[in-house]
Amino acid sequence: MVWWLNRAVGSLFNLIFLPFSSLNPWGAMLAISLLTALLMLFIYKKTSNQEGIRRVKNRIKANLLEIRLYQTDLRTQLGSQKELLAANLQYLLYNLKPLLVMIVPIFLILAQLNLWFASRPPAPGETFLLKARFIKTMDLERLRLDLETPEGLVAETPPVRIIDEAEVAWRLKVTGPVREPLVIQVNGERYQKIVPAGKGRLLRVSTVRVKRNLWQELLYPGERPLPADSLLKQIELRFEPQRLKLLGIGFHWLVAYFLLSIILGLALKGLFKVEI
Amino acid sequence: MSGRKNEEALKRREFLQLVLGTSAGLLLAPGQAFLRTAGRKETGLKVLVLGMDGLDTVLLDRFLQEGKLPHFQKLAASGTYRPLGSSVPPQSPVAWANFITGTNPGGHGIFDFVHRDPRTYLPVFSASESLPARHNLRLGKLNIPLSGGEIRNLRRGRAFWQILEDYDIPATVFKIPSNYPPVETRQRTFSGMGTPDLKGYYGLFNYYTNEYKTVTEEYGGGGRVHDVYVIGNRVEARIPGPNNPFQRGNPETFVDFKVFIDPVNPVAKIAYQDQEFILREKEWSGWKKIRFDFIPTQGVSGICMFYLKEVRPKFKLYVSPINIDPSDPALPLSTPESYSRELARKFGPFFTKGLPADTAALENDVLDEKEFLAQDEIVYQESMAMLEEELRNFRSGLLFYYFSNADQRQHMFFRLIDRNHPAYNEKLAAEFGQVIEQTYRQMDRALQLAMEKVDRNTVIVVMSDHGFCPFRRGFNLNTWLLRNGYHMLRPGTRPEEVSLFQATDWSRTRAYGVGLNALYLNLKGREAQGLVRPEEKEPLLRELAHKLEQVTDPLTGEKVILKAYLTSEVYSGAYLPEAPDIILGFNRNYRISWNSPLGSFPRELIEDNPQKWSGDHMTAPDLIPGVLLASRPARLEQPALEDVTAGILTLFGVKIPPEITGRPLF
Repeated sequence: MVWWLNRAVGSLFNLIFLPFSSLNPWGAMLAISLLTALLMLFIYKKTSNQEGIRRVKNRIKANLLEIRLYQTDLRTQLGSQKELLAANLQYLLYNLKPLLVMIVPIFLILAQLNLWFASRPPAPGETFLLKARFIKTMDLERLRLDLETPEGLVAETPPVRIIDEAEVAWRLKVTGPVREPLVIQVNGERYQKIVPAGKGRLLRVSTVRVKRNLWQELLYPGERPLPADSLLKQIELRFEPQRLKLLGIGFHWLVAYFLLSIILGLALKGLFKVEI
Repeated sequence: MSGRKNEEALKRREFLQLVLGTSAGLLLAPGQAFLRTAGRKETGLKVLVLGMDGLDTVLLDRFLQEGKLPHFQKLAASGTYRPLGSSVPPQSPVAWANFITGTNPGGHGIFDFVHRDPRTYLPVFSASESLPARHNLRLGKLNIPLSGGEIRNLRRGRAFWQILEDYDIPATVFKIPSNYPPVETRQRTFSGMGTPDLKGYYGLFNYYTNEYKTVTEEYGGGGRVHDVYVIGNRVEARIPGPNNPFQRGNPETFVDFKVFIDPVNPVAKIAYQDQEFILREKEWSGWKKIRFDFIPTQGVSGICMFYLKEVRPKFKLYVSPINIDPSDPALPLSTPESYSRELARKFGPFFTKGLPADTAALENDVLDEKEFLAQDEIVYQESMAMLEEELRNFRSGLLFYYFSNADQRQHMFFRLIDRNHPAYNEKLAAEFGQVIEQTYRQMDRALQLAMEKVDRNTVIVVMSDHGFCPFRRGFNLNTWLLRNGYHMLRPGTRPEEVSLFQATDWSRTRAYGVGLNALYLNLKGREAQGLVRPEEKEPLLRELAHKLEQVTDPLTGEKVILKAYLTSEVYSGAYLPEAPDIILGFNRNYRISWNSPLGSFPRELIEDNPQKWSGDHMTAPDLIPGVLLASRPARLEQPALEDVTAGILTLFGVKIPPEITGRPLF
């Protein structure tokens, strides 16, 4: 169920980012921020009490004015402060419902954006870590373990088995284009992991494949989950983090996304007559 | 827990804390306000200087005759090939300072690796000085520096690239020694020898093992052994970082790390902060970033390399000295500041510590010969890659580029080409006896790269600051002074137990030795407890010089000191009063001993040097000149370092300032 949801949202993002694959990632970030701003304005308008918000904002303004006008009248000042506090609380209450509704799409969007902006795939010649996290009851020392690397990828080290962390790790090196997934064989069972690669400036990079679990699947929507009875809890590729570069400064994608979405949302609220 | 060879190491550590403890505070030094790079004049002529530290004329001659250095041969045939007169003494900081300023040590104030403070008689680093923040606000255990610390380059005199800047001639000066912190200029410069590691040392490695091991934490460097336990195939330890200027008492910072060893395979995963990587046994990690936090918002970042020497039966992990991160330098590395970051962007992390090869790790058997060479090969490859980039961007003016490999490898491998060296080992000689020759060949490849990349309008100069000779026997200057009545200890003192002059009776002492070639009189009015009156100075110096030149080694019958130079006769310039009184010019095969430079009095007057540090350059400069090769004929038959400086300025049509004592080379 979650996988199908992830797949549907993932396809939508593939479509949105298709025109930006060879462009500067800031273009894609601007586009998704704009779409997010529009979506959030729509949700806000439809789920909030617009009239109530307008009223309470007017009350806030009136109280602020009162405070400025009656600076010498202590009783009026205190009354206005009390009114101001109450109006603010009312304003926050009006926002609660739309915010709760917004959390769902925002969560899905963030999980998808993490795939597109968080990591960069290694270039040929570079190395990275492959980590397989097992269920705690596995005896790693007696495990029949094998790693099948596709063309373009070689394992540079034998596995490091970390018993008390239930983890096995390898160091892999990219030697050329990688088109097939790698396979970890555990006691004869085969577990695949996609190794993202490519030359585009904007790539979908799924670094984690998780076992079937609602929360984990929502967090890592890049790949079909491992079966529920899998011996593996998670397969992870440790890629280098990626930053969005602007004027020599590297921005974390999350910072860029929230800043742009908020700025665009505030800029467009008048156009769509949304009272925030 | 750190092991030590002897009690002295403890005292040295205390001393080091005294001298270097301030370094952490300097990490907060405000950035130097460098402006844009200057010197944009398009010069018709370009000058490329390859500084190859320690290239020796005798060895170079031999390899040239054997046809092993085709590009040196080609350059020599096209212009000039001469011995290049070195400095007195021929130590790298002194010699390169001669070249930088075009004058002798009296004009630039660098006389030795180590100077002494006449107020305390204690040794101090000659190249730079670290001063902590002047004002601090103390809140409980918290110490808030209210101003930045300061690091001063103690070399005086103007650098030749500053003079070129006056004429708007661009210069890039890469890793020239004796330029830390880099002097203020709008030229592109990167500091070299003398640049400390992140802890403020000249290189302090860490070694983690469950085997009993001792290493020496030497003056300004060395290493520390950390006893670790392998429990459940896991090792937990910490990497020491700089001292924390935000806490009272400036305690050492550290980063915890874990090593997870596979139960069977000789391989391990190392994890700290957000870093995770796997190493096989006998494998280097490449550069890894590490951050030391002082308080939540303040910290410094460094880079280091891990080497998994052994997994079983004993666990052995080497961590290189923490180099300053060039992408986020905590201490000043370059001018402009952005040059360092620009290089880091192009090449990723690279060695920033002044002398990158870890000779102390080889000396202490933490790295063996092969491992040391693997590390120094990384240094060489980095240097070559960056040279290629600099040559690609070299369009006008001057480019100076420095290589340390020949110097460092000759220091460590001379014992394997000198059958009479106490540390000669036939088996090792069979395996590593070719290292020095191979290094000269690598220098030839660097020259080849340069010759291929530059155009016809470029004058190529290859130079070294000094040559090399074996260091077979060490002379204990302070023991000699003690035995001859020039130095007095307090009654009841056992001389061999003394270090840092702790038991000296200064009221009866007339002379003392600090540093690698220097002898000082305990002069009234200069030293804190001076005894020698100014009118007694000259005769005493002549007496000392005469006697020192008569010292012979009973083992070989050879003179130990070929020439005792009176600095008043060989130096000139404003800083002559700060100079030692006598510079010892040792004979070939001799040098100051290991313990004498820091105020110790070992039992033997002359002792064998059984260490791997087996080649050196502290003799009389005439014995070990550097080399000079140029694509233009030189006018001078016996050029010296300062003449190259004058020659470069002349090539650009710059009027030679009066403080430069060198004569135009071309």
